[in-house]
Amino acid sequence: MKFIRPNDMEGLFQNMEENNDRRYFLAGGTDINVQIKNGVIKNAEIIYIKHLKELNGIQIVKDDIVIGAVTNITEILNSKIIKENLPFFQRSLESFASPLLQTSATIGGNIANGSPTADVVPLLLVLDAKLEIVSKTQTRIIELNNFFTGYKTNIMKTNELIRSIIIPRKAENGFDTYFEKVGSRKSLMISKVTLAGLKNISHSKFTTVKLAVGSLNEYPRRLYKIEEYLTDKSLIEINFLKVEELLNEEITPITDLRSDKEYRYHVCVNLIRTFLNE
Amino acid sequence: MKSIRKIDAIPKLNGSWKFLDDYSYEEMIHGQLLYSTCHHGTIKKIHFPDGYNLSEFTVVSAANIPGENIVPEPVCDQPYMADKEVFHFGQVIMGIAHPNRKLLREFIRKIKIEYEELPAIIDIKECLENEDNVFGKELIIDHRTGRKPDPNWIHHHKIYYTPHQEQAYLEPQGMIAVWQPKEKIMFVRATCQCPFFVKEGVETIMGSAIKEAVIETSEGIGGAFGGKEDFPSLLAGITSLLSYKSGKPVKIVLEREDDIQITTKRHPARIEIETWTDPETRKIMKIYIDYRLDAGAYQTLSPVVLARGVLHAISGYSIPDAYIRGRLFRSNTPSNGAFRGFGAPQAFAAMEAHVESIAADMNINPYKFRRKNIFRIGNEFPTTQPILENNLSDCLERVIEKSNYLQKLEEFKEWNKTHKDKKGIGISIGYHGGGYTGNGEKVLNSEVKVVIEKDATVKIYVANTDMGQGAHTTLAQMFFEAIDHPREKCLVQLPNTSKTPNSGPTVASRTIYIIGNLLRRFALKIKDELGFENLDDYVSSNQNEFPREFRMKFVQDPSVVFDEENYVGVAYKDYSWAACVTEIYFHADTYQIELTKSWNVIDIGKVVNQKIAVGQAEGGILQGLAYGLCEFFYKAGYGRMHGFSDYALPTTMDLPEIDVEFIHTDSPIAKGLGEIPMDFPAPSVRNAFHNATGIFIDEYPLVPERIFKSLTADERR
Ligand SMILES: Cc1cc2nc3c(=O)[nH]c(=O)nc-3n(C[C@H](O)[C@H](O)[C@H](O)COP(=O)(O)OP(=O)(O)OC[C@H]3O[C@@H](n4cnc5c(N)ncnc54)[C@H](O)[C@@H]3O)c2cc1C
Repeated sequence: MKFIRPNDMEGLFQNMEENNDRRYFLAGGTDINVQIKNGVIKNAEIIYIKHLKELNGIQIVKDDIVIGAVTNITEILNSKIIKENLPFFQRSLESFASPLLQTSATIGGNIANGSPTADVVPLLLVLDAKLEIVSKTQTRIIELNNFFTGYKTNIMKTNELIRSIIIPRKAENGFDTYFEKVGSRKSLMISKVTLAGLKNISHSKFTTVKLAVGSLNEYPRRLYKIEEYLTDKSLIEINFLKVEELLNEEITPITDLRSDKEYRYHVCVNLIRTFLNE
Repeated sequence: MKSIRKIDAIPKLNGSWKFLDDYSYEEMIHGQLLYSTCHHGTIKKIHFPDGYNLSEFTVVSAANIPGENIVPEPVCDQPYMADKEVFHFGQVIMGIAHPNRKLLREFIRKIKIEYEELPAIIDIKECLENEDNVFGKELIIDHRTGRKPDPNWIHHHKIYYTPHQEQAYLEPQGMIAVWQPKEKIMFVRATCQCPFFVKEGVETIMGSAIKEAVIETSEGIGGAFGGKEDFPSLLAGITSLLSYKSGKPVKIVLEREDDIQITTKRHPARIEIETWTDPETRKIMKIYIDYRLDAGAYQTLSPVVLARGVLHAISGYSIPDAYIRGRLFRSNTPSNGAFRGFGAPQAFAAMEAHVESIAADMNINPYKFRRKNIFRIGNEFPTTQPILENNLSDCLERVIEKSNYLQKLEEFKEWNKTHKDKKGIGISIGYHGGGYTGNGEKVLNSEVKVVIEKDATVKIYVANTDMGQGAHTTLAQMFFEAIDHPREKCLVQLPNTSKTPNSGPTVASRTIYIIGNLLRRFALKIKDELGFENLDDYVSSNQNEFPREFRMKFVQDPSVVFDEENYVGVAYKDYSWAACVTEIYFHADTYQIELTKSWNVIDIGKVVNQKIAVGQAEGGILQGLAYGLCEFFYKAGYGRMHGFSDYALPTTMDLPEIDVEFIHTDSPIAKGLGEIPMDFPAPSVRNAFHNATGIFIDEYPLVPERIFKSLTADERR
C-alpha cells in the first residue's frame, strides 16, 4: 500500500501522470476503508483528496449548480444554494446513511465507487447531471448517464478523477418529484429498491416523465423505455401491464442475502404506480 | 423508586470507563481464533501460508490442552477446540497469537484447511422438521385429565417458527489472560456475565497446569443480553492456553463478523400447537404443545432454555387439560445459547399467535377471548403450581384501557376501508419466572459479602456484573436505602473471583430479584445485629470494630419445591407479568410494517430505580418488537448475515413511541425485570398485522419479503 497526500492540484496531477489500475482516491473513506479492511483492495496506491479546495464546495455557475466532488452530504444538506435551487435533491438525501456518515461521505465518492445501491445516483440521473472529469492535460464533461459501463466500472481512465458534478439549475423546476428508498430500516440502510422520479402534466397528459432506479441493475439507471411509453399519455391511457413488461426489460433485480428479486421487482412496480397516481 | 443516576453514566460519557479492549499489559500479544468454515467434516490438513516466520506465532490446538477439552456447561459435550472432526461452521480449531494484531489477522485469513466433508444439517427447517435429529433429554409436562374432547369443541392445529436472534452487544466478545508462573495463577480479565463460569472454564482446560484461575471483569461490559453467559468460558480457556504457552499476556477481541458468525444466538424454534375450544364458554379446554429448539451442534446450556420454554409455553392461560413436550434438535451450526428471554419469547411467539388465530376463527374479539382464558387466582400452571394473584389480568385490563384498544379496532377498520395502506393494532401478553428454574437457586447457594470500613464506607462484593443494565447502581441502592446510608458511601466492587463470594451468574432475571433483595435483607440484618440507627454514627463511635466483614447466604423459600423428573411443582417463586398493545402502519407499496406506538404495562413488583427500570423496559421492548419485525439472521441458501449492515437491528429512527407503566409497585419485593421486556412484545406485531390485513404469518420476522410472499401466495390461491 502506498499513501499519497498531495498539497495541491498540481501535486495531485504530478502523482497521476501515469496510468495505474491500482490507483484509488481517498475522499471520505466510507467505502474504500471498508474495502481495504476486507482485503478487496490491496497493494494499491491511494491518493488523499478530501482536503483539496479545488474539489470542494457548491457554486452557481451560470445556469448550473456545480458541486465539488469531495463535498460531503452534510454540506449539501445544509447548503442554501441547494435549498433554493434543488430542494427535492436536498430533501431526498436525508435518508443517506446516518448523520455521522453524512459528515464524511462525499458525493464524488458515492458516484465513483459505482455501487448499484448508491443513493445519489438515481437522483442525479433524473436531474440530468453531468460530471466534470479531469486529468493533468484534459477536462471533459460527460453525462452521468453515460458514465457507468458495468458493475463498478466506468469510463474514467486511471489518470482521471471527478472534479465536480454539474446539475442544471432549473432541473427540478415545474416538476412533481418523487423519491423512495426502500431498505430494511429507516436509517443506516442499504437500499433494496430506489426510485427517483420527475413528472409534469399538462391537460392531464404526462408531458415529461423521468425515472431512475437504484439497486435493480449493475448500476443505477434511467428507465427510458418506460419514460417514452408514458409520455403524452394520460393516466387512464396507461396500461400498467405494459409498464410492468417494459420494467422487466429494463431491470435485472437479484436475490441476495438482503432481499429477493421478485420482491424488488414488485416494489418497483408499486412505486412507479404510486408516483404516477400521486 | 428513586431515580438515582447510574454510577457509570458520567465516566461512560467522558470516555474514562474502561472496556476490555482498553486494558493493556506489558509485553501483551494478540490472539485470534481459527475456526472451521466447513459445516461437518474431518480435518485432513492445515496449511500455514508462506512468507511468515512461524516461530513468532503461538499456536494452540486440542493437542496442547493440559486439562480437559470439554467446556463446563449444564451438559458437558462441547470441546474448546475441535480435535479431528468439526461439527459446525465456526467451531474453533486453533488459538493463534502474535504481537501484531493486523499481521495476525492477515495470517489467519490465509490459512487453508483441507476437510473431508461429511453430511451436514444447516437449514433450520431441515433440522427441526426431522425427528431423527432429536438429541438430549425430552421434557414433558403432563397435565392431562384423560377426558375426551367434546365433539362440539373446535380444534385448531398450527405450527409456528421463530428464527435466530443476534444479541448485538455493542462490545464484542473479548478476553485477556495473564499467566503468572511463579504463583501458578492464571489471571483473566473478562467481559462476561458470569465470572465464576469463566473460572471453571479456565480451570477445566488448564487442569493441574495451574493452581487457580482468578477472574476479574473489565470495568465496563458493553452489553451481553445472554451472549456473554457461556461463550466467555470457551474464549477464556483458549486465551489462557495461549498465555500459558507463550508466557505472555494474551488479548483476544473478536472481530464483529466473527462474533456474529460463531458465537451463541437465540435458539430457532418450531412450535406446534393443537387446541380444543368450547364454543359456548369460549374457553380453551385442552392443549397439546410440541416445543422444539434447534440447539446447534452441542447441547451445552440448551436443556435449561428448553426447560424455561416448556414452562412458559402455555402463555398466560388456564387450560384444564395440557400436555407439553420439549425437545432439542441437533444441527451443524454453532451451539445456540442464552439470550434475554431464554426460551420464553419463542413460547409466547407461538401461543400468542395461536390464541389470536382461535379468536379470529371463532369471530371473537382477541381481547375478550384472552380475558376469558387468562390466569386468575385459583387456576394453576400445567405443573400444578397455583396462581396466587390476578396481576397478569390487571396488566391486560390496564393496557387495553390506556391504549384505547377497543375504540381503535373500530377506527382502524373504518380507515382501512378507504385506504391502500392499512393500520393495525395487536395484543400480546407474557410473564417471566424470576431466578433459576425449579431448585436451581437452592443449588446455586449464592453468597454475598460486605465490608464496612473505618469511614463507614460499605463495600459490596457480589459476582454479578454490570453490563450496562445498571445492576451495580441498583444493587447498592437496595442496600443503602434499606438503612438510609449515604449513596456515596455504598459501592459495589468490581467482581473478582478471589475477593468476591460466588453469588451466582448474572442471568435469569435474578440479579435484583435474588441478590438485590438479599442485600436489602442483609442491610437490615446488619443493622439489627449491630443495633444502630445511623451507620455513620455507629462506626465513628465504635472505630475498633472496623473494618469488618459480613457474609450472608440466600435461603430459598420452602414453598419452592419442584420435581425435576416429572415437571411438577413450583417452578419459580415469583413471576413478573406484562401485557402489550402495539399499533402498526402497513405500507402497501413496499410491504413494510412501521411500528407507530407500543403500550406496555408490566408488573415487576417494587421498582427500585424508576429511570433504570424504564430504560431496561424500553430497550427490551424494542429488542422484542424487532425480533418479531426485522431482525433477519439466516437466509436459506445464503447463510448467516455478516454484520450490522445486513442484520437489521432497528435504529432510533425506527423506534416507535413506547409507553411503559409499572403496576403493583407497592409490593415489598422487587421481582425480575431483566428478561420480561423482551418476552412479550413481539407477538403484538404479528397480531397487529393480522388485524390490519387479515393475514396470519406464522414465522418471524415479518420482513417485507415474507409479507410479499404470503400476500402473493394468497392471491394465487
Ligand atoms: C455505515 C455505512 C452506511 C452507508 N450508507 C449509505 C447510504 O445510505 N447510501 C449510499 O449511497 N451509500 C452509503 N454508504 C456508502 C458510502 O458512504 C457512500 O458511497 C459515500 O458517498 C462514498 O463516499 P466517500 O467519500 O466516503 O468515498 P471513498 O470511500 O473515499 O471512495 C470511494 C471510491 O470512490 C473513488 N473516488 C472518490 N472520490 C473520487 C473522485 N473525486 N474521483 C474519482 N474517484 C473517486 C475512490 O477511488 C474509491 O474507489 C454507506 C457506507 C457505510 C460505511
